[in-house]
Amino acid sequence: METQYKLNRLKTTAEIRPFVDRHWEELRTAKERGEKVGWASGPTFIFPYAMGMKCHFMAGYAAYCGGIGAADEILKVAEMAGDLPDSCSYHRLHMGMGEAVKRGIPINPQAILPFPDLMIGGRFCPEMSYYAEGLFRRFGVPVLPIELPMVFKREDLKRIRQYFLGQVRETVIPTLEEVCGKPFDYDRMSEILRVLKKAAILRNQCWEFFKLKPSPWTLWDYGVSIAPVFYLMGKPESVTYYEKLLKELQERKEKGIPAIAPNGENYRIYWDGWLPWAFLGKFMRKFTPHGAVCLCGRYPWEFFPHPELIDPENPVESWADLYFGEESHLGWNASPEGTVEVISELIEDYSLDGMVMFSSKTCRVWNISQLEVMDILAKRYGIPGVVIEGDMIDPAMISDSQIDTRLQALFETIDGIRKR
Amino acid sequence: MKNALAMIVEVTSDPYGYVARLKESKNKKVIGCFPMHIPDEIVHAAGLIPVVIWRSNEPVTWGHAHVPPYDCGIVRSFVDDAVKQKLRFMDGMVFSVRQCLLVKECPMIIERHAKPEYLKILYLPPIYPGKATRDFLLEDLGSFKKSLEEFTGCRITDESLRNSIEIYNKNRSLLKKIYQIRRERPEILRASEVMRIVWSSMLMPKEDHNELLTQLIGELEGKSIETKREKARVIPVGCLCMTPQLDILDMIEDLGMIIPDDDLYVGSRYFANKVKPEGNPMEALADRYLTKTPVYPDMGVWDVHWGDGVIEKVKENNAKGVISFVVRYCPPHICYYPDFKNRMVEREVPEIMIEIEHEITSLEGVKTRLQSFAETIGGV
Repeated sequence: METQYKLNRLKTTAEIRPFVDRHWEELRTAKERGEKVGWASGPTFIFPYAMGMKCHFMAGYAAYCGGIGAADEILKVAEMAGDLPDSCSYHRLHMGMGEAVKRGIPINPQAILPFPDLMIGGRFCPEMSYYAEGLFRRFGVPVLPIELPMVFKREDLKRIRQYFLGQVRETVIPTLEEVCGKPFDYDRMSEILRVLKKAAILRNQCWEFFKLKPSPWTLWDYGVSIAPVFYLMGKPESVTYYEKLLKELQERKEKGIPAIAPNGENYRIYWDGWLPWAFLGKFMRKFTPHGAVCLCGRYPWEFFPHPELIDPENPVESWADLYFGEESHLGWNASPEGTVEVISELIEDYSLDGMVMFSSKTCRVWNISQLEVMDILAKRYGIPGVVIEGDMIDPAMISDSQIDTRLQALFETIDGIRKR
Repeated sequence: MKNALAMIVEVTSDPYGYVARLKESKNKKVIGCFPMHIPDEIVHAAGLIPVVIWRSNEPVTWGHAHVPPYDCGIVRSFVDDAVKQKLRFMDGMVFSVRQCLLVKECPMIIERHAKPEYLKILYLPPIYPGKATRDFLLEDLGSFKKSLEEFTGCRITDESLRNSIEIYNKNRSLLKKIYQIRRERPEILRASEVMRIVWSSMLMPKEDHNELLTQLIGELEGKSIETKREKARVIPVGCLCMTPQLDILDMIEDLGMIIPDDDLYVGSRYFANKVKPEGNPMEALADRYLTKTPVYPDMGVWDVHWGDGVIEKVKENNAKGVISFVVRYCPPHICYYPDFKNRMVEREVPEIMIEIEHEITSLEGVKTRLQSFAETIGGV
């Protein structure tokens, strides 16, 4: 008889939703309390946080809208207002929300945010810049742009770090001081980093549990647990959350409780690219019946892979080092060569059987050279990979039959390799 | 002496053959520069032949194994050409990886499957406020110059840079003159011919192109044109880094409209803004790069509206409408387009969007749309 696989859900992750709801509730009501509101794209939200602003960030809002089931209706408003369906769905989502407010079109009220006092348009992906500029042109949102280059050659890290720091000192900090009417709060930024360091170290300890066979948790659990390091950045609850999560994982390890019942996973899969925020349930339902579990992914892992290097005494420089430093460098990890390095380490350390390269049709930042990367890794490690095309939040871009067929092909290939 | 336009048609009808022959005849190395912003004066000053990378006129086949179908036409076509080893005559390639998301696909594919002798990645930044951006740009251009010096083994002097700038500026002046002639007598050249003229500038050594343009201007000035009736003037806009199908330009004119000017990359954008001849040449090149107009939607310019520049052009040319060529999957253009469209609506400028794909499935749909646009603006 065929094994009936089932997902063993963690208890701790159920605590995430209230954190998330509170973050967005506080943001929605910030202006009523006379608080300043910031919007941000890329890793720039720490600067408004340091100034005591309530701050949104681009991908977080999209994940939230996906989670509350509001994405589809907002995307439709954007298209009605003239946005083209091939444009970035995060871009369309924000434009759709703005257009709904401007035109009085009813949408889920939880998804309505106040326009910000300042939008920091971190341009990690160039489309983040188009989105910030669109907000300015259509809704008059004040924009402060900042360039955050993806680093193609390691030797370029140093000069790009200097460029990042130059922009922060020259434009980001003075503009925030002007908007908030007070000096930049370096002490608060240091405090945020102290707490973040503790939380991110715990988060990395949790990540180590992916090495276990069978694994006690999944990448989707890890993905939804991203909220405390962002929404609760600098708040003690973020540490408490990861302490609880670590404890539960430890208990699962001791009691031998796997993420996939009854006896653990049959296939250990690497997931590349964005997490499909609006379709996490769908993908779980696609993987689980095969006894497959996604264990590692580049996207949620990229943030703070080396929290031990965070230096709260030098907050601005330390933030630059997380992204463009010699040892910790998101800017390099996202490049094609950096991607090969990162995934190679994951394949070596986490006993992976196959790769799913999630290729977003409208946000291509994680797709860059994905086919080449897959080819290099498949040849180097002898593990197969498939591409699944889709989107993080746009249901028009998701095809059930394509997901089914490609996953089936992946699992059959893995089976074939095992029989050799 | 061969007719100048015939020469231009020859060059642009087989750019692969032309550039390969050029390399042999000049005994110089060829460097392919990915559109749109690489200051190829620096390559020229290094004693090399810079050419702007183009897309082929063939459908993508092998390229599908390397890039997804939702990458833009020029990236898919260029990758297809590269993996088929059709670009082996290029001794070097340069990519500015920050201009858009899709160009980032190229370096790893090229390194793995078609690595030339020289490969350079630039990070030319968007036009953002502050000294840090200009400093970084200058540093990036400096590293470009240094890498070319290492490649050729020769120093690029300020004098050689100034000489290249002068030759390039002359080319810009000559192209501008041709546009002036067309504006005054739009029927003197087909729009597809004008596009070929600009495209040939991207392929030919500028010295040779300057001679050819001088000859062409002479030929045009001596040519008489009989205008049978006034046609509706339209301004094509967009196609930010590649050519639209020449057939579409012909179709616009065959439907009774006429193109006196344009806002296209392989068009007026290519020769807009000269480089200041005086002062430090590297700084002068940086200053041209940092010029906000014409607005490039990939350059982070949010405080000047692209639509306003186009409306100005419509007025100058007494045009009746705008035809937007939007390359499918071109992120900067498709994100900007709704705001561009809104500005046209606000200012009551008739506008129509034609989506440009590398592989055209049918021109009939395009024809129907253009025909109805022509009727709307009174062109037929």
